[in-house]
Amino acid sequence: MLKSWKLKEVVLMSLFAVVFGIVYLLFVHVANIWAAVIGPLAYEWMFGIWFIVSIICMYIIRKPGAAFLSETMAAAIEVLIGNAVGPRLILTGVVQGLGAEAAFALTGYKHFNILVLMLAGIGSAVFSFVYGYFVSGYAALDPSFVALMFTIRVLSGAIIAGIGGKYIGDALLATGSLRGYAIARTKKGDVNA
Amino acid sequence: MPKEILSLNNLSFRFPEDQTATLQDISFAVSKGEKLVISGPSGCGKSTLLYLLNRLYPDNCDGSVDGEVLLFGKPATDYAPGEINHRIATVFQDPDSQFCMPTVEDELAFTLENLQIPFDKMEARITAVLELTGLTHLRHTIIQSLSGGTKQRVATACTFIMEPEVLLLDEPLSHLDPYTAKQFVEWLTELQLKTQLTIVAVEHRLDSWGTFFEREIQLGENGCLVKDHLFSPKQPILFPERKSVLLPQTALQVENLSVTIKNKQLLTPLSFAVHRGEIVVVAGPNGSGKSTLVKSLCDIYKPTTGTIQSDGTGYVPQSPEYLFLTQTVQKEVAYSGSSNPTEIASLMTRLRLETIRDDHPFAISHGQKRRVAIAAMLADKRPVLLMDEPTSGQDTAALLELFELIDQRSKEGTTFLIVTHDMEFAASLADSVLLVKDGELTGKFDAKDVWHNEDLLASHHLLAPKGVARFAESFA
Amino acid sequence: MRNLLHNMNPSVKFIAVTISMLTIAFFFNPWTPLLFWVSILLLQLTMSHINWKLWLLFMLPFSIGAFGYLWTTVVFGADTGGTIIWSFAGINVTDEQWAHALSLSFRVMAFSSLSLMFAFTTDPVKFILSLMQQLKLSPKLAYGVMVGYQFLPVMKDEFTQIQQAQRLRGAVVEKHSWQRILSMRRVLIPMLAGAVRKAERSAFAMEARGFTGEPRNAYYRPILLSRMDFLMSFVFLTILLTSCLGGIWLS
Repeated sequence: MLKSWKLKEVVLMSLFAVVFGIVYLLFVHVANIWAAVIGPLAYEWMFGIWFIVSIICMYIIRKPGAAFLSETMAAAIEVLIGNAVGPRLILTGVVQGLGAEAAFALTGYKHFNILVLMLAGIGSAVFSFVYGYFVSGYAALDPSFVALMFTIRVLSGAIIAGIGGKYIGDALLATGSLRGYAIARTKKGDVNA
Repeated sequence: MPKEILSLNNLSFRFPEDQTATLQDISFAVSKGEKLVISGPSGCGKSTLLYLLNRLYPDNCDGSVDGEVLLFGKPATDYAPGEINHRIATVFQDPDSQFCMPTVEDELAFTLENLQIPFDKMEARITAVLELTGLTHLRHTIIQSLSGGTKQRVATACTFIMEPEVLLLDEPLSHLDPYTAKQFVEWLTELQLKTQLTIVAVEHRLDSWGTFFEREIQLGENGCLVKDHLFSPKQPILFPERKSVLLPQTALQVENLSVTIKNKQLLTPLSFAVHRGEIVVVAGPNGSGKSTLVKSLCDIYKPTTGTIQSDGTGYVPQSPEYLFLTQTVQKEVAYSGSSNPTEIASLMTRLRLETIRDDHPFAISHGQKRRVAIAAMLADKRPVLLMDEPTSGQDTAALLELFELIDQRSKEGTTFLIVTHDMEFAASLADSVLLVKDGELTGKFDAKDVWHNEDLLASHHLLAPKGVARFAESFA
Repeated sequence: MRNLLHNMNPSVKFIAVTISMLTIAFFFNPWTPLLFWVSILLLQLTMSHINWKLWLLFMLPFSIGAFGYLWTTVVFGADTGGTIIWSFAGINVTDEQWAHALSLSFRVMAFSSLSLMFAFTTDPVKFILSLMQQLKLSPKLAYGVMVGYQFLPVMKDEFTQIQQAQRLRGAVVEKHSWQRILSMRRVLIPMLAGAVRKAERSAFAMEARGFTGEPRNAYYRPILLSRMDFLMSFVFLTILLTSCLGGIWLS
């Protein structure tokens, strides 16, 4: 699978992961404080920031694996830069990346419109929730509370990661810096763009 | 007849995104031991040409190649990926993005691992190349902690460890200040003498190279070969002469300013004053506190002691796009809302931004970005402009444009403080010079008193502007 | 002895940590995670030398999170029956709910300590090299991640510079989190545009030095597997088994 990847695309995913890693660290501090007050719900609304790397990378590079690889690399970098959550993050990254990847795979890697990107955000949300259900023991919580957490996470995935990812991808395209990547070669006005 | 090792026959190259070809019908050959430079204006395709020689292109951009590229007598396409790179090695322009490992030793080892060198040979080759390049003392140093000039030396050492036959240089001086650049060229000259390597360089500032090259190939705007001739040492850019337009009013008054951040005193108390319309050059060694001074003047850093009185200070960073907040040039200039539409319109015309008013501020040229940044600052009523290293990485045309831009604005009463290492540029513009060293202000000098004082300049890691005589006359 | 955790092969350590976490996740009694947590602390006390002050600083947010978990699980816990042990403000807490709540909170503490143990005793560069050498991670990915890691200080600096420049333009720092997320886009675009440029340059520099992404024959820094690694894996496994069995037996 990696054969068809250019090194510059792999490095791009890695550097994007660093950028979002820096941003994420800013927010996780805030969430940690909220967590004491409102419990695990504090993290739910910002889950989308986590998924956004995979969606932006796929939107730009448009190769099978872009969502999965970028999310996994993002998690690995997060570990390297000293995010205290450490190695369990890599597993989380793998799971979330698979969620987004699944959505793109379902559409045959042919469509990258807003709906597909939102679906990918939801995919990440669902996969990560199932994983979290297991590892963080949501089973012990009241079903209605779990449902609330799930809804917030799915919304965050669709809105922050899906819509936000498309917005950032388009804004970046407008700066003219994405020359040489798949997104820049898609003709304007193309319904799939 | 020396042996031809690289040859291009009727080479044309087009990027998939473009309609027209970047390089057109280029033919030349390079013989063993030659020292060749390819020159031409920014964007003429010189780097593209270099990337066709080390096989980064066409694979990395899916561009289309017409004609023939022969490397050591074999078509470039016949080489496997990576196969040619240890015979034709490359040093790039950006010292900050050429490394992937933490220390110098690790980076050298990375290169050897790429070449599938057996483990027991690695140690000896690393020691030898560090010896050869005089970098032995930096073996275990973290690369990111080194200065730009040293990073370029490390990048060069990484090419030498491959024992290449040809060294390609992609504007290796463009991010270095003239003082460091001169040292780098001297160092490289010595290495070339020892190794007799063939060198193909791409460069737009040839004056820093002295007599290093033997042959020059010039490319034109349209990517055609214009000239292929013997190299002759180049004179620095000749800037037009300018008349000082100092006004009597004070635009900036600094008293006892000092900055301490995290218990570290970055600036010891300093005082100076600047007139309206004055152009002040701020110079000194790297890390001497120039940036701290500029940032405290425009209120990014809070002064620890002292006062700053001014008409309003604006800041243009080395990368002007750091300032941009909107999607079009027009909105960018109008962002602060401090100027009325007539003033905005007048600024847009004076800074020649009318034609690009609807363009994305990130998608325009570097020179245009700087004009947008200046317009935005002036629209925000900040008539004292602080510019951080505006000359870095600029070619002749861009520097002349920058000169015009600053000269014009100063005639309109704008005051400038410009951080630069480029003393030719400084000498052409400055009314006065602020010399900074180790966080201390050596003094504010009249410009004409500085250019002859080589000791004073050297103690601040600056080279006297070439062609000082001309300035002496014009100030006499 | 105090170097044991630091010298352990990073891949082996990573696998040990992962297996431990996935196993503990099956247990909902309070004792298993508690036992495991205490054992990890003991392990770290005896087999590593770390800055405990810094450790406490990192542990603090997790402790707060654990507390958040405790009360939400008590209040929003699933209705599992059991006897009511205490009531507060109209909420009846059963013994089972309380056990679950304690279990989840201890789990947060155990996982956090485990993660911190990994983070505090593992050299990131060695970790990547080990992933490549022991777990056969593709060099393209491994060195891609390595480049990102090297750029971290540069990018952090760039982030500050952009924020400073934009503040000068009058871009204010928003109060609410959601506003800050929205305003983050302004910093993100120049950062990402810069990242695209840096990515291409770095990739070209690597390829120009013969990097193809193919597996390598020899490494200058071989990360080795030793007998100690097997021994340490055994230690981890013992702790894990003891915690699981001990937990079942105690509850």
